[in-house]
Amino acid sequence: MLRISNLHASVDGKRILRGIDLDVEAGTVHAVMGPNGSGKSTLAAVLAGRDGYSVDAGSVTFRGQDLLDMDPEIRAREGLFLAFQYPVEIPGVSMMYFLREAVNSIRRYRGLAELAAGDFIRLARQKIQPLGIDPGMLKRAVNEGFSGGEKKRCEVFQMSVLEPCLGILDETDSGLDIDALKVVSEGVNGLRGPDRAFVVITHYQRLLRYIVPDYVHVLANGRIARSGDRTLALDLERHGYRWIEERSTALAAAGT
Amino acid sequence: MAAVMQHASAYLERFSSSQAGRDWEPKWLRERRELAMERFLRMGVPTPRDEEYKYTDLRSLSDGRFLLSPDEPGGHARPAHLAGQRIAAACGDSLAVAGPAPPGIRLMSLSEALVRGEPWLEDRLASVASFERHALCALNTALFEDGIVIVAEAGADSTEPLHLEFGPGRVARLARVLVIAERSSRVTVVETYSGLGEYWRNAVTEIHVSENARVDHVRAQLESPRSFHTGVVQAAQERDSRMSSFSLSFGARVARNDIGTRLDGTGCDCSLDGLYAVRGHQLVDHHTGIDHAMPHCHSHQLYKGVLDGNARGVFNGKIFVRRDAQKTDAVQSNKNLLLSDSAEVNTKPQLEIDANDVRCTHGATIGQLDADAAFYLRSRGIGEAEARKLLTYAFATDALDRVGVASLRERFEALLLDRFAPEAA
Ligand SMILES: Nc1ncnc2c1ncn2[C@@H]1O[C@H](COP(=O)(O)OP(=O)(O)OP(=O)(O)O)[C@@H](O)[C@H]1O
Ligand SMILES: [Mg+2]
Repeated sequence: MLRISNLHASVDGKRILRGIDLDVEAGTVHAVMGPNGSGKSTLAAVLAGRDGYSVDAGSVTFRGQDLLDMDPEIRAREGLFLAFQYPVEIPGVSMMYFLREAVNSIRRYRGLAELAAGDFIRLARQKIQPLGIDPGMLKRAVNEGFSGGEKKRCEVFQMSVLEPCLGILDETDSGLDIDALKVVSEGVNGLRGPDRAFVVITHYQRLLRYIVPDYVHVLANGRIARSGDRTLALDLERHGYRWIEERSTALAAAGT
Repeated sequence: MAAVMQHASAYLERFSSSQAGRDWEPKWLRERRELAMERFLRMGVPTPRDEEYKYTDLRSLSDGRFLLSPDEPGGHARPAHLAGQRIAAACGDSLAVAGPAPPGIRLMSLSEALVRGEPWLEDRLASVASFERHALCALNTALFEDGIVIVAEAGADSTEPLHLEFGPGRVARLARVLVIAERSSRVTVVETYSGLGEYWRNAVTEIHVSENARVDHVRAQLESPRSFHTGVVQAAQERDSRMSSFSLSFGARVARNDIGTRLDGTGCDCSLDGLYAVRGHQLVDHHTGIDHAMPHCHSHQLYKGVLDGNARGVFNGKIFVRRDAQKTDAVQSNKNLLLSDSAEVNTKPQLEIDANDVRCTHGATIGQLDADAAFYLRSRGIGEAEARKLLTYAFATDALDRVGVASLRERFEALLLDRFAPEAA
């Protein structure tokens, strides 16, 4: 579904991603962990097509197409979804209007009929209910005045409405209390299926108890320093990132 | 009459020929027109040397060609009917007032009111809007051919908007409106301006708000992109009265609006709000003036602007607080959104405060579209042009909320969205 090969990217001349290789097959969940500043959000931003990042080398294919060549909205319409680490507040645009516009932009792209207002409201209500979000939120401006936890839930709500093939969750668990974490995880698990894949960026093994990953990768200094199965997350919890970082710095110094 | 102005001849010629045909007008008006012409000739069409017109170059208007020339041939594209009852339309060489007026409201043409010799006219016409120091108001006063008078009788309560439509033609070029709200009455007036081709419209609206009365005034300037539009809206408010003004300015190559009110009694409330959206080489200039002459009055101003291309915006908000105007509460805000790197705004609050127990606040901002917000929208599949449109709309929406008439607000929203639709971007 997603194939990242030797991806190098920089911001303002600062090299941040230094050769990422990652293969994400349909039906799998990949957890990406790593210390602060290691480049996790940068990777997510490059995949979603945010301005200001320059890709210096490497390639990314998404469902057989060159992802880096697409505008952000095309990536979304092709089925990529990023749950933001810091969702943006947009005063003056209602959640309802925004999300219907998103759904219909995607539907138009795929040659489907647009959803009428009534049908959309039914869909939104149905998706919002299991996430324990007050439907009144739909009338509010996008993320405006939402608490940290509400913003994160709302990202998952958007994902469940848009039903992407690939969901990238950037620290969606941060700032959630344990009940919210369960609810959000169930939301994600409900979307799991043979045609979907997830990349879950997190600092906490806790999340991975609910969203059980097939693979765990550790990002350090802009590379994947180590990959393994879910037991790697447990090791990290016990030993911290230190041992992996030291190894990756040594590798970087050796020029490999 | 001493003509000190260059290019005076065209104006003088029109003035003399018009005056000759106006022997039926009352003496006081004929005298006022003489005086106004004299004032205009002394001051001339403003130039950028005049501080008040520093950014707004009207020099191509100086010889009167665009004001006095006949319209360019071609059918007039009527603007979509905006709201409420169309009660008057000025097109061509005449003016039509169509009834029936809502209960308690009298409408008539100015000429009709003059012929009838309505006794209140002398106190109100060409007196609320002073032409002493305002050249363009003086010019309109000297030359206007006809106009529209709306009188809300004491106690009348009409929320249905009365729609005055100004198109092309001699009468409408020098549009003149007089609104009189008698004691404890309420009336809503909507003026729209539109045309085709290259021309200059110079309009004046006077509003008298009597004790405890309320006037809501909306002005939609949708002139041809090659035209010049200059307009004055001046109100005078008696005690406990309320007045709101909303100025929508989307059209014209150069538009200059002077909108003001004088709070002549205690306990008055006024709001002067507006939205301008311009692109290409358009220039839009709003000068507002609120004269707090008496204590315990509130004024509120919110002007928002969206500028694209090489467009230019000017906002100047004057607030005078006289010595007696204690407990004045005045709030002013001007916010601008620049959609391109070459668009420009000059914004300036101008407060003159002579009283000591007052609250006056003002603020101005000039910003660009929030790149993070645009990316957030796009990351959900919304196209770039659509995202821009949505954010532009979001920026303007609280200004549009100040339009009290719901149907009108919706029309304005649609006009705004059209204006920055993908094709235009
Ligand atoms: N615009 C920028 N200019 C310069 N440096 C930047 C910019 N944006 C990010 N960086 C740097 O890039 C590095 C990687 O940042 P990134 O946000 O990808 O880390 P992260 O792994 O997501 O961290 P966290 O766990 O704290 O979210 C950091 O050192 C950060 O300071
Ligand atoms: Mg991050």
